[in-house]
Amino acid sequence: MPDPSFVFAQSLSGLTAAMFLFLIASGLSLIFGVLRVLNFAHGTFYMLGAYVAYQAMLWLGPGPGMFWIAALGAALTIALLGGLVERLLFRHLYGKEELYQLLFTYALGLILSDVAKIFWGTQQKSVSRPPGLTGSFSFLGATIPQYNLFVILLGPAIALAFWFVLQRTRVGRFIRAAALDRETLGALGTNVDALYTGVFMLASFLGGLGGALVSPMRATVPGMDTEVIVEAFVVVVIGGLGSLWGTFLGALIYGQVLSFGILFFPRFSIFAVFALMAAVLIIRPWGLLGRPLR
Amino acid sequence: MLHVFTLLLAALLTCPLIAEAQKPIKVGMPMPLSGPPALFGDPATKGAQMFVDEINAKGGVLGRKLELLTRDSKADANEAVRVARELILKENVDFLVGTLTSAEGPAVSVVAKENKIVFIAPIPKTDQLTAADKLHPYVFRVAATTTMEGRSAAEIVAKWPVTNVATMSFDYAYGQDVTRAFVDHLKKIKPSVQIVDQQWPKLGEQDYNPFINAQMAKKPEAIFSSIWGGFFVTYSKQAKALGMFDTIKYNFIGVGEAATPETTKSMGADYPVGIWGNSYDAFYWGETPAHRDYTTRLSKYLKDEYPSSWAIQGYIGMQFLAEAIKKAGSADSDKVAKALLGLTVETPVGPLTIREKDHQANRGQLYGKTVKDAKYPFAIMKPVTYVDPSRFMD
Repeated sequence: MPDPSFVFAQSLSGLTAAMFLFLIASGLSLIFGVLRVLNFAHGTFYMLGAYVAYQAMLWLGPGPGMFWIAALGAALTIALLGGLVERLLFRHLYGKEELYQLLFTYALGLILSDVAKIFWGTQQKSVSRPPGLTGSFSFLGATIPQYNLFVILLGPAIALAFWFVLQRTRVGRFIRAAALDRETLGALGTNVDALYTGVFMLASFLGGLGGALVSPMRATVPGMDTEVIVEAFVVVVIGGLGSLWGTFLGALIYGQVLSFGILFFPRFSIFAVFALMAAVLIIRPWGLLGRPLR
Repeated sequence: MLHVFTLLLAALLTCPLIAEAQKPIKVGMPMPLSGPPALFGDPATKGAQMFVDEINAKGGVLGRKLELLTRDSKADANEAVRVARELILKENVDFLVGTLTSAEGPAVSVVAKENKIVFIAPIPKTDQLTAADKLHPYVFRVAATTTMEGRSAAEIVAKWPVTNVATMSFDYAYGQDVTRAFVDHLKKIKPSVQIVDQQWPKLGEQDYNPFINAQMAKKPEAIFSSIWGGFFVTYSKQAKALGMFDTIKYNFIGVGEAATPETTKSMGADYPVGIWGNSYDAFYWGETPAHRDYTTRLSKYLKDEYPSSWAIQGYIGMQFLAEAIKKAGSADSDKVAKALLGLTVETPVGPLTIREKDHQANRGQLYGKTVKDAKYPFAIMKPVTYVDPSRFMD
């Protein structure tokens, strides 16, 4: 029987990983739910978020609060970039075959990551944890970095904010309506094009924010985009494409399976996650909390 | 009349020979120039190019210029093989110097064998590249091997006042081989030390928290890691946040170049200063006039005050090739391959020799404990020692 403080520490590290994944996967899921496009380039938005945050930190310097300005600035920059991409490029994809959409978004990801290489080269970049959250504290015998705790609290906060916007506001009603029937909504006088751009920008904002917030914990390097997009896909497949709480649940499961998997299959914990995904696909192809596609 | 005819014939016959003598000697270099491994591949090609530029400025080798043709191998064995074939068949390169990962090196070695072209590997460390069953007359290595690196680390850890050690390595050829070499050698020279835990994250892992927690639950007194390059940045940031380095009192050694100036520079204040690490080179080493001179030239060439520690591997690879061509008096691969056997070259890190029996150079690495130094805005190894692996290469 493992030591309880270790089990606690392990579940917290799974929770931290889960909340990062949720930030990224929720954008992916949102774009699919409303725009019906699987956006492979979403991982690249995440990577660009990390690079822009790094760049902003270089300009701003290390003062207190600077990290938060940099992270928010990075997320907003990526949101703007997302808006441009949607207006100029994605527009032509709606209603096309999935294969075209996949090829297109994959190519877009490759192009954007090469652009990142032109700007930032191939050397690893590193951002420090923000002052005030550099320490750690002990709880039930486990060491918990303050920054991890912040991430663990941020995840549910964003999920709740999301839920509130979608279910309780006018904009949310339009977004849900657009997901169900775009044409009727347009016929009723809503500017669906602007709505789509807005949704895409929101999703890009979350991807960019995920990248900016992950930068104090990981190295920012070329290739981090393809790693994260695979994980985010697993999460949305388990939870259900297009479902907010499904994505949240998928991320939680992913994090815990990976964390505790190494106790049972030390060298194959990643296998446990993929096996879980395969099982979900067989039993409930639309994911745990998703709805069957019409 | 006959004489004139003979003369003409002779002139005609020698003409292509003269033209041949003036054609450059072409060297193909497959190297990862994209993705995370480009971090090392890119400077390695620049080091090689600096050597080529310098030697050409002095008239080249045997009166012929060297020409370097670099290709992106994408750190992928299949791609490395593809570009190596393209270099041989289309560009007619005379030699191959290159590859970085332990997957690429052995794959390109097969191509070199098929085409009977000398191939010098400057970076891949896997023992398999020059193992008895894979060795052939055309493959040579001027990089360290997993055996040499693991054993060098064991020699250092054996001196620490610890009774147990844990290991953290990626679950693939390099990680497994270097860890095995470390563990076996440590058990041999200090049998009292216990190995309490071994973690094997997948190559390129982004979240080390679960592995660190699981390892710390076994209460190790020291940790050996071979998490390399940019991955070490991620690993050590997360380990530091969890207080791992404090708990083990900085009894930590990171091979896979965890103490290169590039890494300490990019991490700045986040680097876990006090740990031990290694590096192929360090601009601040300056042990010999030859090294100081090399560093000054490299700094100018790269226009970088703190030049890369990876350039030296491309440089040494080309240096061995050029010296072997000189010794052979020919750019013929069979003759150059023979010339490389037992060849000693004065490199910027001192004299290195390629052994006849396994075509392996005694390339050691720099090891040291990292400290803060007022002269630089990042941590350096101090004192920094070149560990000559000659004693434990077999």
